[in-house]
Amino acid sequence: MPRNPSPAVLPAPRLGPPPPPRVPVPLRWTLPNGLRVVAAPMHRVPQVVVRLAIRAGSVFDPPEHPGAASFVGSLMTEGTASFSAEALNARLDLLGAALHASVGHDFAEVEGVFLSETLAEGIALLAEVVARPTFPADETERVRAESLDALVARLDEPANVAEDRVALETFGAGHPYGLPAFGTEEGIAGVPVETLRRFHAEHYLPGGSFLIAAGDFDADELRGLLADAFAGWTGEARTAVYPPLREVPAEAGRDVVVPWVDAAQSEIRFGGIGLDRRAPGWVPAAVANYILGGSTITGRLGANLREDKGWTYGARSTFTPGLAGGGWIAETAVDVEVTADALGEMRAEMRRMSTEPVPADELRRAKDALVLSLPRAFETPARVASRLGTVEAYGLPADYWETHPARVEAVTAEDVLRVSRVHFDPARLVAVVVGAGAGE
Amino acid sequence: MLTLKPLRIPSRTHVLANGLRVIAHEDPSSPLVTVHLMYHVGSKDEAPGRTGLAHLLEHLMFEGSEHAPKGDFDDLLERVGGTNNGSTWLDRTNYYETVPTHAVELALWLERDRMAHFLPVLDAEMLETQRGVVINERRQSYENRPYGMADERLHQMLFAPEHPYSWPTIGYVPDLEAVTLDDARTFYSTYYTAGNAVLVVAGDVTAERAFELAAHYFGDLPRGPVIPRVSLDAAAVPAAPAIRRETMPDEVSFPRAYLGWAVAPYGSREWVALDVLAYLLGDGESSRLQRALVREGRLAQEVDTYLYPTERCGVFGVVATSRTGVAVETLEDTVRRVLDEVAAGGVTEDEVTGAIRRVRADQVAEMAMLEERADSLAYAATVLGSAEKLEELMDAYATVTPEEVSRAAAAWLGAERCATLMVVPAGDAEVRDAA
Repeated sequence: MPRNPSPAVLPAPRLGPPPPPRVPVPLRWTLPNGLRVVAAPMHRVPQVVVRLAIRAGSVFDPPEHPGAASFVGSLMTEGTASFSAEALNARLDLLGAALHASVGHDFAEVEGVFLSETLAEGIALLAEVVARPTFPADETERVRAESLDALVARLDEPANVAEDRVALETFGAGHPYGLPAFGTEEGIAGVPVETLRRFHAEHYLPGGSFLIAAGDFDADELRGLLADAFAGWTGEARTAVYPPLREVPAEAGRDVVVPWVDAAQSEIRFGGIGLDRRAPGWVPAAVANYILGGSTITGRLGANLREDKGWTYGARSTFTPGLAGGGWIAETAVDVEVTADALGEMRAEMRRMSTEPVPADELRRAKDALVLSLPRAFETPARVASRLGTVEAYGLPADYWETHPARVEAVTAEDVLRVSRVHFDPARLVAVVVGAGAGE
Repeated sequence: MLTLKPLRIPSRTHVLANGLRVIAHEDPSSPLVTVHLMYHVGSKDEAPGRTGLAHLLEHLMFEGSEHAPKGDFDDLLERVGGTNNGSTWLDRTNYYETVPTHAVELALWLERDRMAHFLPVLDAEMLETQRGVVINERRQSYENRPYGMADERLHQMLFAPEHPYSWPTIGYVPDLEAVTLDDARTFYSTYYTAGNAVLVVAGDVTAERAFELAAHYFGDLPRGPVIPRVSLDAAAVPAAPAIRRETMPDEVSFPRAYLGWAVAPYGSREWVALDVLAYLLGDGESSRLQRALVREGRLAQEVDTYLYPTERCGVFGVVATSRTGVAVETLEDTVRRVLDEVAAGGVTEDEVTGAIRRVRADQVAEMAMLEERADSLAYAATVLGSAEKLEELMDAYATVTPEEVSRAAAAWLGAERCATLMVVPAGDAEVRDAA
């Protein structure tokens, strides 16, 4: 169906100056028990997100029980001194409130998402599950069985196999980051409930922990609620001692192939050693990564593998920071027939990043994208809590996000080349392929 | 009755002479604007043999237009700190950009260009590349995923092959391979028109300015042809599934039961009662199915319920995964028993109150994002007829009674209306066939 006459051609609009980034400036205080609080009121929707982070990650797993930390996290909401699991769940569900624990390598986090009209009771329940869980035998055994089934089900998915394997290849079995935080079958199957109780008593302590609240609340009211809810909780959590990271993965420069029968695609991962979130190189590295694979379509990896070749739905890369440094990962999934070609193209893009200076225009675009997208990064209570959590977890300066644009702006093409040589040189990275091997 | 402060996404609507409906939602709290263009076309508008065309065309729409050639779309938006995406579903296709306030005109200009000047750039090479990307998307998101083909099969069981909800939005591979340039051109010319679209401008811009800009960038475009619509009969709510029961082997470790029902359409009072029922059954650790299957019954690792907000009829689903050693039929029997209890009237006031609050919590979480608010307004205008219908719908939850929830279960979720798909580990199925 022709459209005649053809519509007019309108000139592209000339844009005015961008709005100055507005970053929430939170309130900070510390409870008498040492719990640090960061509070960012925002009233657009009647929701409050509260995140309590505790130094109780898998790094503290007893060596014979990998997964114990994660198991403790799963049991937080399965019964407390004042509530049976059944009573607690009924109460949370009636309030429309959600409490979820997630345990990573460094921290255990309990997140509460509350309607603002139920905040007071929500905070009280959050404090109750964190400070006074009872690990009832019946619920413990149910969660143990569910966790063991979940470990098996997880390995049905080639992407999960690739994720676990690249971590192992990057960090090695001797580093907590080399193992999944959720542990192993043996670790979870055999851990006695007494060990879980002891883990909780030793690690779930307010000193060293922090709580972020973002959303629709009055800061003075929150101050009172937190003081009451956490009054009886005392103690100082230990800091973890991590083994040193390798310089490069043991199999750097090589392909590790995990065969997968009848794979529709090959899952490809490149893994390498990243850098400390607090390091001065972090921001240049973030800019460099943005150019290589920060955006799944317009990054160099996505532009090549997806937009130019049509081999994949997307390709991306990211730094994965942790308290002990961290990693870097590039990922895609491609047609099995082009597995070897895709590995070659990815290595070529990484090599180009680590040998040629990035053109000025591409650098400009990356900086603008990173700085001008800040309002979106702080749009919702959940996102604000996440960004402020980063500042607390790594002990970054309180004005970190306010001063972030200036740090991005200062990055030069030489900076990008320097960090790319360290982090994107294919000789310093291990490749994991789950699916058809590169030689097939 | 539960007294809760009503949730609102305030908006004003203005219809341009060419039929484009423009909805403005003002929110100056962040220096952001979302431009959301929703076309009233989805996979239900595809012809048999050309499934996947609506979604493939969505991919092509990101490959440039006459004055913003390939790469420009993402590039220009990225340079201003913006983000953009699109999606295709059964009833609608949408495109949206979220940008800092100063770049609102860029987003509108780009959407105008691909509404007005897309056909000249649509060529065979573009089609081949995106055909490859979409086939890979199908592999990555469905074929290469455990249980990834179950939803597609469940829809084929719920709806007869001629029903437009029977095929998947991603499309069948032979159909994707058969799509020609002419197919894409005709589909675009028919559906991608001002008269078939809703434009939402949401965020840090006044309604007056939004209407002014919409008139400037879209006012001169033609209304477009009269749209051939799928007939109401062809897309009616089926009285019974096309296929009642099936077992599907897959490369999985645990059996999983999928139970599906075709139910009342989005926007109806009954759909709201069914939504409350979905939360009461499966959302929250104390919900009926969580207790019966997971926490107390210890039969399932997990259970989930869902309700599609689809135009011609809704789809209600229950999905449960067996624990080690539990026969998948036991899960089905337990779901049936719980549904019978609910239909018989055993629902309490507290259960309904909690379910309504949990619906509200999810609505509030969505409303925290400008993009989601724009989407909700566009969707209401597209499939319910106006943005105002969204308020009526959100308000309807507070007055849902336990009796209504029971009636909805009795009317829509009976055994005779249910399609049951059992996904079982491939090894087990072979053993069964041999036996």
